[in-house]
Amino acid sequence: MFPRPIQERSRSRQLMYKVALPISLIIWLLPMIAIVATAGRSLSDLNRGNYWGMPSEWAFIENFAKVFGSSSIGTYLLNSVIITLPSIAGALFLSTLAGAGLALYKFRGRFLILALFIAGNFVPFQILMIPVRQLTLDLGVYDTYWGVILFQIAFQTGFCTFFMRNFIAELPFELVEAARAEGVGEWQILVHIIVPLVRPALAALAVLQFTFIWNDFFWPLILIQSDELRPITLGLTVLKGQYISSFNLLAAGSLIAALPPVMMFFAMQKHFIAGLTLGASKG
Amino acid sequence: MRYLKTTVCAVALMLCSTSAFARDLVMNANTSDPAQKLAMEELIADFEAAYPEIDVKFNLYDHEAFKVAMRNFLVSDAPDLITWNAGNRMKVFVDLGLLEDVSDVWQAEGLHEAMPAVVSASSVEGKQYGVPYAYYAWGFYYRKDLFEQAGITSTPTTWEEFLEVGAKLNAAGITPITIGTKDLWPTAGWFDFLNMRINGGEFHAQLMDGKVAYTDERVKRVFEKWAELVSADFFVENHPGYSFQEALPFMNQGKSAMYLLAPFIVSMFPDDVREQVEWFPFPVIDPAVGIYEDAPTDSFHIPKNATNKEDARLFLAFAAQADVQTKTAATLDMLPPNINASVKDDRFAQGGFAQLGQANGIMQFYDRDTDPALAKVGMEGFQEFMQNPDRIDAILQRIEAERERIYGAL
Repeated sequence: MFPRPIQERSRSRQLMYKVALPISLIIWLLPMIAIVATAGRSLSDLNRGNYWGMPSEWAFIENFAKVFGSSSIGTYLLNSVIITLPSIAGALFLSTLAGAGLALYKFRGRFLILALFIAGNFVPFQILMIPVRQLTLDLGVYDTYWGVILFQIAFQTGFCTFFMRNFIAELPFELVEAARAEGVGEWQILVHIIVPLVRPALAALAVLQFTFIWNDFFWPLILIQSDELRPITLGLTVLKGQYISSFNLLAAGSLIAALPPVMMFFAMQKHFIAGLTLGASKG
Repeated sequence: MRYLKTTVCAVALMLCSTSAFARDLVMNANTSDPAQKLAMEELIADFEAAYPEIDVKFNLYDHEAFKVAMRNFLVSDAPDLITWNAGNRMKVFVDLGLLEDVSDVWQAEGLHEAMPAVVSASSVEGKQYGVPYAYYAWGFYYRKDLFEQAGITSTPTTWEEFLEVGAKLNAAGITPITIGTKDLWPTAGWFDFLNMRINGGEFHAQLMDGKVAYTDERVKRVFEKWAELVSADFFVENHPGYSFQEALPFMNQGKSAMYLLAPFIVSMFPDDVREQVEWFPFPVIDPAVGIYEDAPTDSFHIPKNATNKEDARLFLAFAAQADVQTKTAATLDMLPPNINASVKDDRFAQGGFAQLGQANGIMQFYDRDTDPALAKVGMEGFQEFMQNPDRIDAILQRIEAERERIYGAL
């Protein structure tokens, strides 16, 4: 098995490991440490170039209070939730249907359709900016939550379908055949047999999609104008000045914005890893 | 999950059905500096107090995001007002037919007489496309205490004195000038001033309009002067590694004495340092050449596709009033374009105001006066030059190639 457990290595190797691990960990985490440290500094400390030393005053509470006081960050957080949750639900719903269709039925052109879904993932999304903006305008959903939600569902369904199709194709097909022999309808098969079996995949996808959609900056920027509809990624940029930025407030705001995906990750960690390595151990 | 979806969607629909009241005035802005934000909020509050029936919806963006968003919302669902910059930056959008002609506001409010300094920057072919609310002078912010420490008694007014000041500071172990060139634009301030002091305002304007080659002898003279500073170790080391804001700590720590910059820097000096900071204008290089200054102008514009242009015009007229401009400019640490407004009683604003008052002409700023694509290549060249002055010929040829691509062969 690779990697071999460290206990089986020689003493000197073990010692090296024990020294190197914390060092590399600190280097790895330096950017994160910097953000936390910056969030606790006053602006005058930063203007003096005191980035790593002891802060002349601890301003953690003050900075967070300012972030909540000077911008409507509460609204932005709520907007992020309002955009993210329906987008995930929609993308998962559609991709389960499409994935089951592609995996369970042998019809001509199914490979082509799957290839289309995969190919969609390789399109750089920026080139969609102008057509999508025009489409949302024509549909009358520009500058509403719906514009962003519909686009996120449409765009993310491609990847999700690919993912779900492969997962469903891995399931033992005998289950479906047995159900059909019993006279169970196709819809019933999907709801009562397939969906319960793909639950781990759905959970993994949900976490993945949550981070994708929550962290997306580009589409809200293009499709939303009104301040009261902005998600947190867009709202945070208001803390960044045209010329000068209050880096301490930006850091504090970023920590707040990063918290939900991180919490989501820890809550669903098992599914997340399972999802990423899905099928990886199969020879 | 599905129930949740329905509920969330219902809430969403309710929230987004609140647009389009008769007298909503939507304003999209890039003024996200803390002082700018405060100034805009105060201005809007005052406007709403004067016109209680109008409700201003203020959507703030950071500058980079605004540049992307602007190209989208101007052609689709445009707001009623935007903040932007006068000069070439405005002209780009005027040429695309995206900004409203507001000459009628200028006429009705007598702004040609009230704002003489900014008429040309706000005009394209004789028509006005925006109303400025503030402009500001560029100049040297320097630390008096460090000057004294190096035995310097007066601020330099000529090139020779300037070189001498630098030599004294270097001898005292203080880097004369701090600059962060990662964002590129701080280099353009140097180029503008050197060119205007050596070759004058008319030549500078021609160069900005692409009518002179960058390989011209007169342009080369600018870089010869600039190279004198580079070779005399005037600038902090590794400046391409710092954004302009990250280069400021050198001055706050007392390691560096001067910064060629604009008033938005003032609020970034910690209190004890600010007491020691004073201001002087860019020194004269050739006494035969007039005084020309960079004075970037920020203004309000009405998009062509705006829905509530009537109330937007009311806002422009309101923002142009002398007392309103006094207050806005004071919050911004900048200058009011309206001559009947009063300039904030502080040494930076007054110093800049006096200098602009005696100027023979003002320009906006390199990246506001010339084509944006050319400005980028130009400023990259300036940055490279400040690290490797001996590469100047290759750099100028590269900039010239870009100028020729945009403005055509001469």
